[in-house]
Amino acid sequence: MGVIKAIVSGIGTTLRKLRVLIILYVANACFSVIVALPFLAIVQKELGHSLYGSFIQPVDLMWLGEAMLKHQDALAAFVAGLVACGFAYLVFHIFLNGGVVGRLLDREGPADLASFWGDCGRYFWRFVRLFLVSLLFLALTLGIFMKLVSGLFAPLSEAAVTEWPPLILSNLHFLIALLLLSIVRMIIDYARIAVVADEERKALKALRQALTFLRKRFFRAWAIYLLIVAATVAGSIVFYVVLGRLGAPAVVQVVAALVWMQLYVVFRIWIGTLFVAAQAEFYRSHPY
Amino acid sequence: MRTPVLRPGLLLGAALLLLPAMTMPGQAPAAAAAGAPGLRYEIWVELDAAGKMLLGKEEIVWTNPTKDTVPDMLLHLYWNAFKNEDSAFLREARAETPFSRGDSPEDGEWGWVDITDIRLADGTDLKPTFRYVLPDGPETAGDQTVARVLFPVPVEPGESAHLRIEFKSKIPRTVARSGYYKNSFFIGQWYPKPGVYEEGKGWNCHAYHQNSEFFADFADFVVHITVPRGFVVGSSGKAADSRTDESAGTTTMTFRQAMVHDFAWMTDPRYLRVEQDFIASREVTAKEYEETASLLGLSVDEVRLPDVKMILLIAPEHKGQIERHFRALRAAIKYYGLWYGPYPYETVTMVDPPFRTGSGGMEYPTLFTAGTQVLASRAVLSPEGVIVHEFGHGYWYGLAANNEFEAAWLDEGVNTYSTGRVLAVAYGAGRLEFNFKGWPLDWFLRIPKAFDFESDRVAAINAVEFDPVTTWSWKFYNGGSYGANVYMRAATLLTTLERLLGEPAWPRIMRTYHMRYRFRHPTTADFIGVVNEIAGKDMTWFFDELLDATLPFDYGVAGLSSAKVPRQLRGVYETDGRREEWTDKTIEESEAAQPQAPAGVPEALYRTTVVLRRYGEARIGGDARIKVLIRFKDGTSETRAWDGQARWTRLEVLKPVEAESVQIDPEGVWLIDENLANNSRGTDGFRLNTSKLMTQLLFTVQCLLHFVGSWS
Repeated sequence: MGVIKAIVSGIGTTLRKLRVLIILYVANACFSVIVALPFLAIVQKELGHSLYGSFIQPVDLMWLGEAMLKHQDALAAFVAGLVACGFAYLVFHIFLNGGVVGRLLDREGPADLASFWGDCGRYFWRFVRLFLVSLLFLALTLGIFMKLVSGLFAPLSEAAVTEWPPLILSNLHFLIALLLLSIVRMIIDYARIAVVADEERKALKALRQALTFLRKRFFRAWAIYLLIVAATVAGSIVFYVVLGRLGAPAVVQVVAALVWMQLYVVFRIWIGTLFVAAQAEFYRSHPY
Repeated sequence: MRTPVLRPGLLLGAALLLLPAMTMPGQAPAAAAAGAPGLRYEIWVELDAAGKMLLGKEEIVWTNPTKDTVPDMLLHLYWNAFKNEDSAFLREARAETPFSRGDSPEDGEWGWVDITDIRLADGTDLKPTFRYVLPDGPETAGDQTVARVLFPVPVEPGESAHLRIEFKSKIPRTVARSGYYKNSFFIGQWYPKPGVYEEGKGWNCHAYHQNSEFFADFADFVVHITVPRGFVVGSSGKAADSRTDESAGTTTMTFRQAMVHDFAWMTDPRYLRVEQDFIASREVTAKEYEETASLLGLSVDEVRLPDVKMILLIAPEHKGQIERHFRALRAAIKYYGLWYGPYPYETVTMVDPPFRTGSGGMEYPTLFTAGTQVLASRAVLSPEGVIVHEFGHGYWYGLAANNEFEAAWLDEGVNTYSTGRVLAVAYGAGRLEFNFKGWPLDWFLRIPKAFDFESDRVAAINAVEFDPVTTWSWKFYNGGSYGANVYMRAATLLTTLERLLGEPAWPRIMRTYHMRYRFRHPTTADFIGVVNEIAGKDMTWFFDELLDATLPFDYGVAGLSSAKVPRQLRGVYETDGRREEWTDKTIEESEAAQPQAPAGVPEALYRTTVVLRRYGEARIGGDARIKVLIRFKDGTSETRAWDGQARWTRLEVLKPVEAESVQIDPEGVWLIDENLANNSRGTDGFRLNTSKLMTQLLFTVQCLLHFVGSWS
């Protein structure tokens, strides 16, 4: 299967399984409200009655300074709470991944709640093991490669007599890290697909299967990944350009901004499912 | 044996010859009050570029300006701060970063200054009396940044000591402010320099600390700098001569400058040297002169500015920003000149700091370093901010030369305040600076704009609990407290004072303070004295509460309510000799029975109650008041005032209309108030911008969680 065909088929699959998207969006929204609630309460308490709230800007230095001062003692607790929520969401998302990958791979199957939650439960522990292994894999791969790249660049940077060489090298370093990260994450994606498609129970074996699969068709697989990344970037640019043009705050603009933001969140979640669907199409079309 | 004596009259004559451009009509008193400098330097220095060494000879003529008989001299040897980890500077740096080496140089990159010979002009060797001393106490016993020599015969009042010094210095690989990187050199605080002798107190000559800068006496300088041929040199003062020695492959340049208290230079073979003129008649309109003169209560001639030669030394990779540098410098010369007094020197040299010399953003008399990057956004006021600030130090430190060790706010705080004013007038608000991998993020994102006073306030209100602004520099809690208090809190306090005193008092205060203490060493008390004198009232309370203390300042609105005043209150009353009970029901019936009020006559009265609180410890004083503005639903308003002494107060207003909001300090005078959100209160709880902020907050959390989830 070609790159474009895999993406197009993936889009078709995600559109047929919109219920998956809805579940993910609701999960994200509910979790976000819980996490944001204390912050929203603080904002409302301090600015709801204050005239300052009528002209406060999204990044308002005058108020941010005050907020920092007022809540400095609670900052550690806030950060700890955020980390805990982030971790909880991560675990919850591992759980949801079972449903997402399970339903998207079952191209013609139903996307009803029972099947979705069934897949969540079925694959949860396998995905947990895979997540732990992938963390190790990510750390090792990035650690070793980036250390090598740093070692290569450091003498060039140290010998520089102007800003340009360090600047270029630093950007190059970052670009290499990003590309490497995309490769590692792609490998992990395929391992996750292998867990479901091949009913693979062992994380290491799934990872090996993904590597074996990618060995022969690496560039096509990478092209799929990068094209979807490019679509995400393009979508994000459109989002921010439109958001910037929504104008001065009036009730209509605030509501429009809220709707537009939510559409963007839906778009990002949909892109997440597209990664799975397109790569699954590609994986399935090349049995080995 | 008597110390060789030079006649002060000769020094005065020499100084006057060097000072053709220094006095302006109407500006003479400050310079004249300070008199000619009692200090003169002639220095010959050669750069060994390969060995990273300086070889120098120095002649110092110091005249005792006091009534004291002075037996000794204390000399700063600043570069010994980088000699070893036992120096006060590196000990303090290490104390702030306990898990690292602080600012310590790497092996082989230490710097130092050795006095190899020191004698009087008659040949008397002072080296046997040479000792390192610890003026700031025994805590840093290994520090060698201050040395003392004894005169064989004490110097009597009005007499002079003539010293000849030979020194050899190893240039540090940059630790702070001075140093080298490859063939780039920035040379500051490099020569043995006497402290400041204060009558009745002795030498004021502090060690080089991490969180402090410098203090020295005004002097006339002649400096001969020898560098490898082809090296571009930028220096304090005015170039007087240049000679090339073909056989030695060197060039020697001579620079002269009168009435400055320090001298720095840089050299780099790659640098571009560009000159432009600040031509006052082009930069300042007749209207601006007239307005300034009127505001300051001076004649137009007294505020007229001189032309100035602007010299820029810039790295070739920043060539595209030359005009940007000059535009900022022109704005600085113009506004500092108009507001505080004309720039008194012929030249100003602006140096784009050499790469990796750590010398950016530093001030020296008639020379300063800026700082930019190859990818620089035009919307971010950098390098403009640093150019205006460092030039501004020519006024606040260079001319009004306070002791930076003991009252750093007088230069950093006053100058941070001044920088913000110049930037606001010349450029407006700048975008906040955020870079990623050298790329300005405002090229890709909508980064907000802010005035300096806004960003300064963030630090100011968060720094109050650590130290008073007037703390001696190296005695602050840490570098963060030093920076936030001395720069931002002081600047925020000055903006508050500006708003409190208004025009014309405030501009006249600043002008008077500067001109009165130009070429002198003002103290905090001098500043307060000028404020009280020109404002015509005692403002000492302001400095006591806010500058010299750690008291948070926060006045706020604790409550607002508007309730209909009932025609009758419940209870038992005697009317016409009989007792009658008013209940809710009888009151309601009575009100219903009242005839409808004719048009234009209010049907009911409302009692608006406002509760104000002083949440902070700091109190306003003198005739200052907290202004309270109550707005009503019919569009009318009432203004009250509170003296702010008690912890709280309750105000009541009876009007035939309900209140809509209450606001204290509606003009935003009290910028130092650490909670502006509680300064007002409306009767409703909905604010559109707050709702927008909340939607964005929720969206941010959603995106963050999505990102976290993507790693699963």
